[in-house]
Amino acid sequence: MTQPYAHPESLVSTQWVDEHRGQTDLYRIVESDEDVLLYETGHVPEAVKIDWINDLNDPVVRDYIDNAKFAALCARHGIGNDTTVIFYGDKSNWWACYAFWVFRLMGHDNLKIMDGGRAKWMDEGRAMTTAKPNHPPATYQVTHPRRGIRAFRDDVLRHVRAGRPLVDVRSMEEFTGKLTHMPDYPQEGVLRGGHIPGAKSCPWMRAVNPDGTFKSRAELEAIYQGELGLKILDDVVAYCRIGERSSHTWFVLTHLLGFDTVRNYDGSWTEWGNAVGMPIEKG
Amino acid sequence: MPNRLDEVAEVFQSVEPETRLELLLDYSRKLPPLPARLTAQRDAGLHRVHECMTPVFLWVEAEGDKLRLWIDVAPESPTVAGMLAIVVAALDGGPIEAVKNLPLDLIQRLGLADVLRMNRAVGIGAILGRIKREAAALQPSPQSLTPNL
Repeated sequence: MTQPYAHPESLVSTQWVDEHRGQTDLYRIVESDEDVLLYETGHVPEAVKIDWINDLNDPVVRDYIDNAKFAALCARHGIGNDTTVIFYGDKSNWWACYAFWVFRLMGHDNLKIMDGGRAKWMDEGRAMTTAKPNHPPATYQVTHPRRGIRAFRDDVLRHVRAGRPLVDVRSMEEFTGKLTHMPDYPQEGVLRGGHIPGAKSCPWMRAVNPDGTFKSRAELEAIYQGELGLKILDDVVAYCRIGERSSHTWFVLTHLLGFDTVRNYDGSWTEWGNAVGMPIEKG
Repeated sequence: MPNRLDEVAEVFQSVEPETRLELLLDYSRKLPPLPARLTAQRDAGLHRVHECMTPVFLWVEAEGDKLRLWIDVAPESPTVAGMLAIVVAALDGGPIEAVKNLPLDLIQRLGLADVLRMNRAVGIGAILGRIKREAAALQPSPQSLTPNL
């Protein structure tokens, strides 16, 4: 028999979503994609769109929106404090996990991911629509933000000095320092290449199957506990370039494998590799 | 910037950012489909722009002294498709030299930098650079490559 995930309630199937999508008073389905226009080309009926840039990030300061703006965002989409929010999206739920993490950071309790995301829903020929739903607004209050799932640069520096585990979920080229920016877009880049000393490389994609669903618990344990040698009680920091891919790994470690203390360093390489005096390892 | 791109940029700049995204979505539906002779090449993985995280396939060809651009973008990337449809509408079938003026910062010129942010701009800049490089290397061809259109 397959071993269940540590928190199986945080993952639902496309079939489950199809059966429950009409219960809009209890559930809010949210599409979060990399591409800002993908939702407009078709989405799960009743699903609303939350964009990782325009909705979740502050337009001026490099930070997430504040409590008041988050509350307004939820209220606008008819998400109350008790609403269960189910995220799905493109690229194996990469951005869905990012939105999930931001919602958790803001203290929202009932959150789920639709396993397999948008691609699986479409491959199965399930209903899609371009009609925007019109959910009645809710009232929302940020009551207990969970700041503990976020690491800042100084936290990470202390973490490195204490010799605690870090997971770098970027591509191997980025990890070794071979690649710092994309051709033709040098301004996108980072001044220094490499990784945070002591970090182990484990590209986020390793946690998913070709159809975008998460690998089984046994397969995930073989990667994170086996290969990387992480232990369930470890204090772990995950990072990537801006904290999006590492949200995916954060979800895998905390919700699927049951790690208690995992922080996402959203400043990630674009902060570390540009900051003065940060220790860097190459190769 | 070629005149037709100037005109498009003017329209984009004259409306609110939200409307710019709607315009971009309209363009994304207008990217012409690949001619049959190229789909097999795409399916074999040829002509992919590797700098772009989104699967994008690009052919830059000469038809006489005219530029022909064929671009295929995955349906999961309407933003990229929209940007490239604007480029195709402006340059395809026009003089090859016009590509020289294709701006790498087209996103800024269209007023989309704020709504798309730099992360999304990465791949598009790479594709524009590739179009310019390949067009600069083109020799005018005597015969038509697409006789069946």
